[in-house]
Amino acid sequence: MSSFILSYITFVYFGAFFFYLLMMVMGKGIFGKIATTICVLGLAGHALAIVLRWIESYRLGIGHAPFSNLYESLIFFSFTIILLYLIVEWRTKNRTLGTFVTPLASLAMAYASFSPNISSRIQPLVPALKSNWLITHVITCFFGYAAFGISFALSIMYLLKRFDRGGKKGIFLRLIPGTLILDDLNYQMVVIGFLMLTLGIITGSVWAHSAWGSYWSWDPKETWSLITWLIYAAVLHSRLVRGWRGRKIAILCMIGFSCVLFTYFGVNYLAGLHSYGKS
Amino acid sequence: MMPTLESRKHPNPVWRFFCSVRLTITLLIILALVSIVGTLIPQREASIAFARNLSPAALKIFFFLDLFNIYHAIWFRLLIGILALNLIICSINRFPGIWKRFNATPRPDRQKPFEDLPGELTFMVRGERATVAKDVEHAFRKKYRRVRDKASKDAYYMYGERGRLTHFGFYLIHLSILIILMGAIVGSIFGFEAYVNIVEGGEAGIVSSTNDMDRIPLGFTVRCDHFSVDFYDNGTPKEYRSDLTFLEKGKALMKASVLVNHPAHFRGITFYQADYGTVVGDRVRLKIIKTTSKAETSLLEVKKGDPTSLPGGDGTFEVADIQGDFMNMGPAVLIRVLPAPGQETSFWVFRDHEEIEKRYPGITQKFIKLNPSAFKPYTFILQSLDTRYYTGLQVAKDPGVPLVWTGCFLMVGGFFVTFFMSHRRVWVRITSEKKGVRISLAGNASKNPVGLERELVHLSRSLEQGLNEKEREA
Repeated sequence: MSSFILSYITFVYFGAFFFYLLMMVMGKGIFGKIATTICVLGLAGHALAIVLRWIESYRLGIGHAPFSNLYESLIFFSFTIILLYLIVEWRTKNRTLGTFVTPLASLAMAYASFSPNISSRIQPLVPALKSNWLITHVITCFFGYAAFGISFALSIMYLLKRFDRGGKKGIFLRLIPGTLILDDLNYQMVVIGFLMLTLGIITGSVWAHSAWGSYWSWDPKETWSLITWLIYAAVLHSRLVRGWRGRKIAILCMIGFSCVLFTYFGVNYLAGLHSYGKS
Repeated sequence: MMPTLESRKHPNPVWRFFCSVRLTITLLIILALVSIVGTLIPQREASIAFARNLSPAALKIFFFLDLFNIYHAIWFRLLIGILALNLIICSINRFPGIWKRFNATPRPDRQKPFEDLPGELTFMVRGERATVAKDVEHAFRKKYRRVRDKASKDAYYMYGERGRLTHFGFYLIHLSILIILMGAIVGSIFGFEAYVNIVEGGEAGIVSSTNDMDRIPLGFTVRCDHFSVDFYDNGTPKEYRSDLTFLEKGKALMKASVLVNHPAHFRGITFYQADYGTVVGDRVRLKIIKTTSKAETSLLEVKKGDPTSLPGGDGTFEVADIQGDFMNMGPAVLIRVLPAPGQETSFWVFRDHEEIEKRYPGITQKFIKLNPSAFKPYTFILQSLDTRYYTGLQVAKDPGVPLVWTGCFLMVGGFFVTFFMSHRRVWVRITSEKKGVRISLAGNASKNPVGLERELVHLSRSLEQGLNEKEREA
């Protein structure tokens, strides 16, 4: 039932993307309002489906929070991206970011719902995942990932806007905020992402300490999260202390997000302890 | 934080090298790259299969650079050491500048902050300037520290600030990293990581180190009273549980159940559920058929190594060996027969004899060593054998852990101070005009100027409201 709703959410977010794009191409605010409405409705349905899935698992007698495998994590990833995006939209009163963020959410949902390798069945928790840390760890990590995802979208917007400094390709880019605002917003997203990633790594290592007997064992997932952390630490130092702005930061943020993606997906191709997210 | 802070030249070139943030960024990126390499090359135990495919020359390089154990290699630790040094020296180098800003006491009657003041931050009230000033100061002191004022002929000024300690926020983060590294060092010097397998009913007082197979005495013994594994209906494991007793000199001191995610602690050493398996016991049940004139069947329970007489009295036999899984064909026992007169014979008897015959027809006829009827006229059948669980425990002692958690806690605190709090400095100017008294607010912040502006607008509204109400009452 819940996975049925969730597979439709994919198209809802795609629809939102379509209207955000229409808003930018046509330069008409009404399409933006429609897109935001679709997004909010999609998010509400999304939240409902996650709660339903949670309840379903209890009905099956294997009750647990829906954060236990790749399918559930993708669903939650997409949820955090849209939630965080809507907060940013509400705070900045600018909708152009939606055009770059909704495809990420829609792709994650599509991958979860339609990939033949990913099972949407509710499975019981293996002993290692039976811990109170599961919820905190997953929530902090995925809000971190989402913030970095939005930072990635902002970096793309920044670079697009930069290459069009004369404003010649007007129609499409006109509604995008100025580069200074994009840069500042990007910094704020990196700060949120960095804080959340740090919390995610800390909760993960507290958990590992009780499950695997060591707070740090250089497992590939741990190592890659550290790599991501190091990259964003470099971003923050280069901005706060060296005064880097703009293009360099945007490029570093894109490298950072590719590390996030590798931490999330790529690590599954390496052997390690952290194999719950494989399928 | 402006880039100018860094450009203050230090005479010592070594110091200059270590206090540059360029070095920090370079080190962070190098550490990231090296860590990537470490996840691509199989490490430690996993590296054996990989190493087999390497040429001897490549292997030499790999060993020289410790590439099969990157994260514990000297040069990797050296990199972290340089980063720590860089962090300490940067922090020291910055201190004078930060201290200056921490201690700065700007004049209350500065005019510059009031340039280009937005309309929301200035308003008029009725009343005497002196009494209005007193009321404003009263409200101002509640919100800001280090309040100082100055009165001149035509204006009254006030200055106050908040959050000047936030300049030291990044010290908390840097300190937290050093504390975590210290925790890791303490753990690697005074701690150990080991494992031990204990059969149900058995006990152990010595564990084997994971790194170098060293034997580490615990100073007490652990007994495994019971081990159980539960499965879900679909066959995936649900719970592993070991019931342990900790003993000293034969006296039971503590009992504990160890589950995944629920380790047991005893005398600073922690026991984790890590593995399990089965071992065979030393008793087997055999069926022996003597096929002479009429078939004679006897059932016997035999202990390993105990000579037993054959049912027909033709000699003795013993179970010389018991294997849980012999040649990948399941449980088997080695029977050694000593006939009253004649040569000793020995052969293996499988429990799953019929299945093996089906899979490899004729195998037991072909190899005399695998033939349960090798000693004529007897046929041995292995009916069952005892199996017992053993529990695989990970055993760790890490006195550095409290330091690591302290560091983590500090780091998160440091982030909040550094990223979400700021040093806010606020000026108030009160001047007399024809219609009444004008109050203006201005300020600056080390971070988040928008937040400060919101705070000032809020302050100015509440001041205006409060003063007007007071005026009406009067």
